[in-house]
Amino acid sequence: MTAVGIIGVGQTRYLRRHVGLSAAELVRVAVVEALDDAGIELDAIDLVVGGVAPDSLAGVNDIDRMAIAAPGRPYFRVNTGGATGSSALLAAMTWIRAGRADAVLVVALERMGQAKTAQKIFNTIFDPIYEKDIVLTTITMAALRASMLMKRHRFRPEQLAGIAARNFANAIHNPLLEGVRAHTAEEVLASPILAWPIHQYEACPISEGACAVVVARAPLAGSRPTAWVHGAAALSDTYSMGDRMRRPEGTLIDIVTLRRSAAAAYREAGIRDPEREVQLFELQAPFASMEVMTYAPLGLCTADDTKSFVERRLAGEVATWFNLSGGAQAANPVSATALVRIAECALQVRGRAGRRQAPDVHRAVATGQGGATQFSTVVVLGEETP
Amino acid sequence: MTKPPADPPAEIETETELLRLPGTWNFEYTYFAGETASRFFAELRDNRRVMGRRCPACRRLLVPARSFCDACFEPTTSWEAVGEVGEIDTFTILTATFPGLPEPPLVIAFVTLEGADTAILNFVRGVDLSDIDAAGEFLFDHPSVRVVFEETRHGRITDFHFELERPSARW
Repeated sequence: MTAVGIIGVGQTRYLRRHVGLSAAELVRVAVVEALDDAGIELDAIDLVVGGVAPDSLAGVNDIDRMAIAAPGRPYFRVNTGGATGSSALLAAMTWIRAGRADAVLVVALERMGQAKTAQKIFNTIFDPIYEKDIVLTTITMAALRASMLMKRHRFRPEQLAGIAARNFANAIHNPLLEGVRAHTAEEVLASPILAWPIHQYEACPISEGACAVVVARAPLAGSRPTAWVHGAAALSDTYSMGDRMRRPEGTLIDIVTLRRSAAAAYREAGIRDPEREVQLFELQAPFASMEVMTYAPLGLCTADDTKSFVERRLAGEVATWFNLSGGAQAANPVSATALVRIAECALQVRGRAGRRQAPDVHRAVATGQGGATQFSTVVVLGEETP
Repeated sequence: MTKPPADPPAEIETETELLRLPGTWNFEYTYFAGETASRFFAELRDNRRVMGRRCPACRRLLVPARSFCDACFEPTTSWEAVGEVGEIDTFTILTATFPGLPEPPLVIAFVTLEGADTAILNFVRGVDLSDIDAAGEFLFDHPSVRVVFEETRHGRITDFHFELERPSARW
């Protein structure tokens, strides 16, 4: 298969509200930085893929049309909820491997700070016939899964809060975030309960911003610092969460789409033992409980050993890095967040992550999760040319 | 819920006052339930029954009723009533107020009813919520619930809710 790599990354800061920049200006900031980072001109871009999830969060229908980075070349939009950004990257890779492009600009935009009632809007992503009346929102959806996780493994609240605290401890080193504080597990548990068992500091904040990456084939890639795609996979599942409770292949919290995506991406990358062969995971997990749910599907432990893996992590016995950016828990610009995870992995693999750079990141894995885990993506990036 | 933190400083240096223009997006809709959900709701309203549809390929009884099984992509073939007792697969207790959503506290749960292979979402009423953590732990240990129909029914999912079975009950 054609070798494809990420040669440029650009990100705005991720703020609750970007009152000084329009949607198009946010996109431009990220795109200019990504092109500079790649060391190429806009003329070298053959295709632009835009990523925006629900328009109603911004209050503008088809808001991506306001923000097409460079008119004059093919363009399309991708929307798979929280997995939008990573789905957009996979679409770009497909165009390159099909021979239709040498370099693609992928840009994802989140403008949700304009919404005054974000959770009411999120209620409208659920089935209006059978489910919307029962206050399903992104928070209650996450809480439904969190309580299932708690019951299955009998987690103590301080264990999930401890995972949240580790993300906040990383987030303070990320200059793209503003106003982030290092919350201890005790502070997480002292924050108000939004929907039991989820406390406010176990949940992501509202975040706006844009993220852009330049994806290319050789010779553009390879002649520049490149994070090569070693493996990538994406899968969908049924819309209905109720249908996923008791399936033989796995329950709602086994995240079958993530498990199968990881298996496929690892196979392509030749990864057999992810804890040893992957130095960094950037997880699209806007809630601490969702992060914990990903460990088994990503092959870091068996489902039954999830609790002991969490205990090992909290004891500092797991050498693998997680969410050095602070993760989706510190900033979750919904439409962009899965691309941010990939961008952060690309920066680390290319040694360009600045204050949050970890030593010796040869291979990193980014996940994307969207639509109540209806969509999952796994992307493996590495420094070696595949 | 605590108040959101104050806005961070603007990301650009400017002397210009940054304007915020008011806006609304209030559209009205009628949602078309389709034949299968319409029959499901009519059964709730007229016959106080929760009905499922069975997939001939995987044999699962899908509740709430679906015209086809999206795992097999086959049309379902028969209507079957399920029991009024079931088990909570998962739940949450909404405790925070969000603008435009119903007032908390509210308990919602996905419940697999006796005979069903999939779970249906609804409110759980009558749970002692004086201590939220204790209520959560109680529901972990006492997942049995019963369907209770409203006196006045409108052909909506809210025509019924769940109430706890006797804590010792099993099915």
